[in-house]
Amino acid sequence: MQVFIAQVINGLSLGSIYVLLVTGFNLLLLVAMIIHFSYPQVVVFSMYIAWVVLRLTGNNLLLGILAGVGSSIALNLVSAPLFQKVMSKRGEVDINSTMVLSMGIGMIITDVLSHSFNQGLPVAFPDSLSSNVPLLRVGLISVVSGQVWSLAVGIVAVACFFLLLYRTRAGRAFRAIAEDPNGARLVGIPILRTGLYSYALSGVLGGIIAVLLAMLLGSAYPGLGEQVAHKVLAVSIIAGLGNLAGGLVVGLLLGVLEAIVQGYVSGSWSNAIAFVIMLVVILVKPKGLFGTKL
Amino acid sequence: MPLPLYYFLSITAVNILLSWALYLPYRVAHLHFITVANMAISGYTAAWLVMTLNVPFAWALLAGFAMGGIVGWLVSLFIGDAPTFAVVIVGFTFIFIARTVIENLKAVGGTMGIFGLPNIGGSPDTHRWTIMAILAGLLLLVGFLLHRFDHSRLGRAASAVFVDKELAASLGVDIRGLGMLLQTVSCTIAGGAGVLYGFIYKSFHLDFFTFALVGIAMTIIFVGGYATQWGTVVLAPILYGVPLLFPPSIQEWRIVIYGALLVLVLVLKPEGFITRRFVFSIESFLSGSRKKRNIS
Repeated sequence: MQVFIAQVINGLSLGSIYVLLVTGFNLLLLVAMIIHFSYPQVVVFSMYIAWVVLRLTGNNLLLGILAGVGSSIALNLVSAPLFQKVMSKRGEVDINSTMVLSMGIGMIITDVLSHSFNQGLPVAFPDSLSSNVPLLRVGLISVVSGQVWSLAVGIVAVACFFLLLYRTRAGRAFRAIAEDPNGARLVGIPILRTGLYSYALSGVLGGIIAVLLAMLLGSAYPGLGEQVAHKVLAVSIIAGLGNLAGGLVVGLLLGVLEAIVQGYVSGSWSNAIAFVIMLVVILVKPKGLFGTKL
Repeated sequence: MPLPLYYFLSITAVNILLSWALYLPYRVAHLHFITVANMAISGYTAAWLVMTLNVPFAWALLAGFAMGGIVGWLVSLFIGDAPTFAVVIVGFTFIFIARTVIENLKAVGGTMGIFGLPNIGGSPDTHRWTIMAILAGLLLLVGFLLHRFDHSRLGRAASAVFVDKELAASLGVDIRGLGMLLQTVSCTIAGGAGVLYGFIYKSFHLDFFTFALVGIAMTIIFVGGYATQWGTVVLAPILYGVPLLFPPSIQEWRIVIYGALLVLVLVLKPEGFITRRFVFSIESFLSGSRKKRNIS
């Protein structure tokens, strides 16, 4: 039972990161109308930038975090014109080609990380960031500060995001475009500018996720983005593409499921079991459990 | 045959087969990456049959094709008419699962893979010529079938599905049936390509079937041109061959170059280099000159 509770706590902190990732992914899908498959690769790239800045500044946490968030926003904004160009060339929104474009960007990021940083070896974050100091220990249950931080920041970030989406003018513009882009244009919402805001906002979320992942995992490796990308797209599909509330539920569930499986099954099989369960759900309900919002 | 030439020709042929296997379901907008998982599953199965049960290579190759087809058909029962992104994620998930299962199976060497596959026909030279002959035959057969498909009613139905699924359905196209057919054929081709891929190197290792392979095939299709089968034929040898001419320090950035090329082409020339219009103009030019010759 203790193992189970420990793994549920682990899973909730991991799940909160999945929720943030899916939220950023869905925001781009709904407002900018792109499938940014390599969004998690952007996050991992930001982790690496934070790692470089931490090394250069003698582990100055504030600068490291700012660099992570800044690089995520910059990378998202730089890729925005590429996505816009692809969509304008197609005449109408073609999310499939944006997904392929995003995969190309992901290929570049992953390979640059495996050649240019730390000779392709995993990078370790300093203890001051990835603090694994146990805050609570009861038998086998141990709650470390990294888990608490990621869970707490994850909840606050998602709450702020939903507040922005449902209680502000900008949020209304986001939702209007998601609901009906042509109608939104007719009532005077600047589609391009609002789309750019969504890139910037998902960049902010990406930076926060990068910091949280660094705190939770304590390290990063070039293939991390690829692995997370598949899970994020899977969570998004299982929840129903663009369904923010569904993403919240399924993201947390996947985190908990993964952690529980890891608690009882040996390392290499545990990932496969999580993937098999995801596969079964996608095969049975390819349009998602909660319905798509596209 | 000199070894470098053998490897260049045979790997290029496998790349073309893999890209065609991806091209076929993409005719109905399905990016069916399960093909890479199928290459691994069929390849390992065939290698196991040859090494453990001493099954002759020809039968192992046929088993590889069959295995690919069966897996493809079973999966297509569920995603024959699924949206593109669902098909993509099923493919990636399948690759992960296949890799995990294979690396944990001692019967196929686990993380070490399978080494020392026997030469087909006895000597190394016969082995190479046999592999080349099979690959050439397969390229001709699959190429011919694709050409016929593209010029058939089924091909036109696939084009309709690609452009507008609902319109195609209202015109009476069986979207699910067509998707299932293309996915199954695609997986069958991939199964055979997987067996040959391993037998070229006379070994199987999981590093042969990574996401980089997906990236290479995707670059070949989208840069070459996803609307016809010919873009693949033109671009596969260039993409594989040109980096070999550069020093190793540049070669190791191959995937970055592929990625940049993919992004650039999607932005500047979305249909790729060999477009359908281009193929039509060549076909009409050739048929025109043929007509002229007949008249004279």
